Amino acid sequence: SRRHSVNRPPTPDVRDDDDDRPKKPSLLEIVNIKLIESGEKERLMELVRERLVECGWKDEMGALCRAVVKKNGRENVTVDDLVRAITPKGRASIPDSVKAELLQRIQTFLVSVAH
Amino acid sequence: MFVVDLILQLSSDIYRDILDSIIVDVASESHRIARLGLDRNLDLEDEELRLSVEARARASDPSHSGEANGKYVVDIFGQSHPAIANEIFDCMNCGRSIMAGRFAPHLEKCMGKGRKARLKATRSTTAAQNRYTRGSPLSTQTPYSNSTSMNRSSNGSSAIAGDDYSNGNLEEP
Repeated sequence: SRRHSVNRPPTPDVRDDDDDRPKKPSLLEIVNIKLIESGEKERLMELVRERLVECGWKDEMGALCRAVVKKNGRENVTVDDLVRAITPKGRASIPDSVKAELLQRIQTFLVSVAH
Repeated sequence: MFVVDLILQLSSDIYRDILDSIIVDVASESHRIARLGLDRNLDLEDEELRLSVEARARASDPSHSGEANGKYVVDIFGQSHPAIANEIFDCMNCGRSIMAGRFAPHLEKCMGKGRKARLKATRSTTAAQNRYTRGSPLSTQTPYSNSTSMNRSSNGSSAIAGDDYSNGNLEEP
């Protein structure tokens, strides 16, 4: 049988008593919604993508992916395989300037919505 | 918890979230390229080398039916065409009878190198150049009718007589 490239987590079962109690969103969820609705999340992601292309990070990740594809075989590789393969190195090799810029933008946004 | 701590914690979470999303995007893109076989074209030179080797192998393969049969190549309908198209027609420039396969080089000579053809060409291009330059003292008159846009570009500096033009709209005072 064909392996699915993108493994989605199973849809959580809806329990009956949950329908009666309203769920309280966490602060992070509230902030995330504001982030997305304001368009800031998309802007931030575009900015970071651009920075990561400029500094060669994306190419490095691409090379890592090609190595995985070569090892596993083109038809057998899944998106999960690639994500697992590049996440540690990907997180670690973000240039400090990019990290600082992104954090600063996020913090500015948080301060602005806190009012 | 102070607000500052809260902001630091939240920003760290959001940072991690954004980064992970980008990593998934990159992995997804690489996955697509790998599954579609698009990474085979990444190195252009190697790809061209590979294609030429394959083409050569195909050409020299004797078991290949229908390709090169002596002089003529056979197409998928089994028709054969000569290497040089041999339909004959008349050149619309000079009126001579020309073979289709020889038409392009003929046109090059016919429109470029022939004595009369060359004179005709240079007369019309130099006339056009003179119309466009400002302050040109030359008054060149050509038998070709002029559009008003050309008149506007030469700011009344070229002394073009209005006689030869079908529309005598000279806007200069």
